[in-house]
Amino acid sequence: MSTIEIKNLGKKFLRSGSSEDTAVTAIESLDLRIQDGEFFTLVGPSGCGKSTLLDILAGLAAPTSGEVLVDGEPVSGPSLERSVVFQQYALFPWLTAVANVEVGLESQARRGRGLDKSGRRIRANEYLRLVGLQGVEDKYPHELSGGMRQRVAIARALAHEPKVLLMDEPFAALDAQTREQLQDLLLDIWSRTRTTIVFITHGIEEAVYLGQRVAVMSSKPGRIKEIINIELDGRHSVDDIRSAPQFSDYRHRIWTLLHESAPSAGKSPVSHKSLVSPGVPA
Amino acid sequence: MSTLAVPDQRLQGSTGESNRPSPFLRLAGRLRSTLYRSGAIIGFLLVWELVPQFVLEPSSRVFLPPLHEVLQALGKMIASGDLGTHILASLGRAAVGFTLAVLIGVPVGLVVAWFSKVGDFLNPLLEVFRNTAALALLPVFTLLLGIGEVSKVSIVVYAAFFPVLLNTILGARSVDPLLIRAAKTLGLTSYEIFAKVVLPSSVPIIFTGVRMAGTSSVLVLIAAEMIGAKAGLGFLITNSQASFLIPKMYAAILTVAILGFTVNAALVALERHFSRWARA
Repeated sequence: MSTIEIKNLGKKFLRSGSSEDTAVTAIESLDLRIQDGEFFTLVGPSGCGKSTLLDILAGLAAPTSGEVLVDGEPVSGPSLERSVVFQQYALFPWLTAVANVEVGLESQARRGRGLDKSGRRIRANEYLRLVGLQGVEDKYPHELSGGMRQRVAIARALAHEPKVLLMDEPFAALDAQTREQLQDLLLDIWSRTRTTIVFITHGIEEAVYLGQRVAVMSSKPGRIKEIINIELDGRHSVDDIRSAPQFSDYRHRIWTLLHESAPSAGKSPVSHKSLVSPGVPA
Repeated sequence: MSTLAVPDQRLQGSTGESNRPSPFLRLAGRLRSTLYRSGAIIGFLLVWELVPQFVLEPSSRVFLPPLHEVLQALGKMIASGDLGTHILASLGRAAVGFTLAVLIGVPVGLVVAWFSKVGDFLNPLLEVFRNTAALALLPVFTLLLGIGEVSKVSIVVYAAFFPVLLNTILGARSVDPLLIRAAKTLGLTSYEIFAKVVLPSSVPIIFTGVRMAGTSSVLVLIAAEMIGAKAGLGFLITNSQASFLIPKMYAAILTVAILGFTVNAALVALERHFSRWARA
């Protein structure tokens, strides 16, 4: 539970051995403030720098300019305060489900502010229960389905009770039905723990369904185009909120924003047109 | 119609039986598949037994005695304890050399993989050594270390070292970078990442190297013993040949084959055990 402030953030990638001019700008002058306990989703076309942004938030990559503050403290590297759930689960295949969940707890204990061995096991089992997994504690990741693996990964990210949960297209590799189950599970966990969640996706529906606010990103360079407040009445009382008219209004608005920002066939190929048919009026 | 119905019923009856085979049938099935898989070996042994007896002329039969004579020689050597002594001599050398190679190869490989600058510097030299047949260096080992135990153990170390080293480097370098990123976000320091992520994730590939090292240490040792030794299976082969004890020579060769097979099977089992978490 904490506030994230992103100030004038920029990230350039230098190709090795080349000069500053050929650097690829992934993110340019990005400002953002994410509230304490907020569920914030980011949607954008592929290559808009949304994963780069998440890497910087996690401390896995350093920004070229600007800074990220979490509760006023600048981010200088990875920390147990900010957990990450990756698209490809990233479970340690040689550890059982429960041992995977204990990894973060163990590093906490090594820093001298954690639980003892039996306490860690109890906590890990609690979190496996929280994500709806029971009876698979001693299974290895390759014995679990994709959905179960991602549940273990969520439990692992939450077990040491981080302030921020960063999620990088966590459900993109799952089938539609499993994805919906895990979306509901995530909303349920969020309403219980009130952890600040930053959720990256390329699915518009997913962004609207989960987020309190949805940031629409544009690509090349990555910027935030617009932030939309999602106010869906009775997200939990209505059976199928996805087919409510409000929902499709939001969906359509974001769709339009994304399609404006995509490098469409109409903008750059002005010169292309003139090459194909010189002198012909458009 | 009624005549058609009878065979139909019989068919059903027989399929019903095959769904629930009796213990006897199951045993027969297993026996049949075992026989099929060992057919080539049985055939080979039969040829070995029969060809010298019925096809070869007596003069050349001396150089290729039938299987039963070889087995008699083998039995005699086992009974006298002769064979045991030679096996122990060979196994002892192979085990010492192999163990040393693993103890040196794994840590060196991990260092080379972790410090990529060290790796870039050493790699060309390692490639040269790796591609030099160990036996080509046997004269060098003999000149420098004599014909005693030291030179034979050294050449085993040399032969076993490179598979271990190269597979360790390969294993440590092929760690999924995503797992390292995940480990960082879970608060692991770079030493902890090495010990808890890089090392366990490279275990299956390291064990492939260990298995290859085990096989090649036996192979190289036998060859080294054939050139200069007073005991060991390699010595037994050349010595029997020189003394014209041809069945004894074949018995020694047979022992080498069985030993190599056993060592490999043991190491495969070990490899499976340590990589059971890896996807099939």
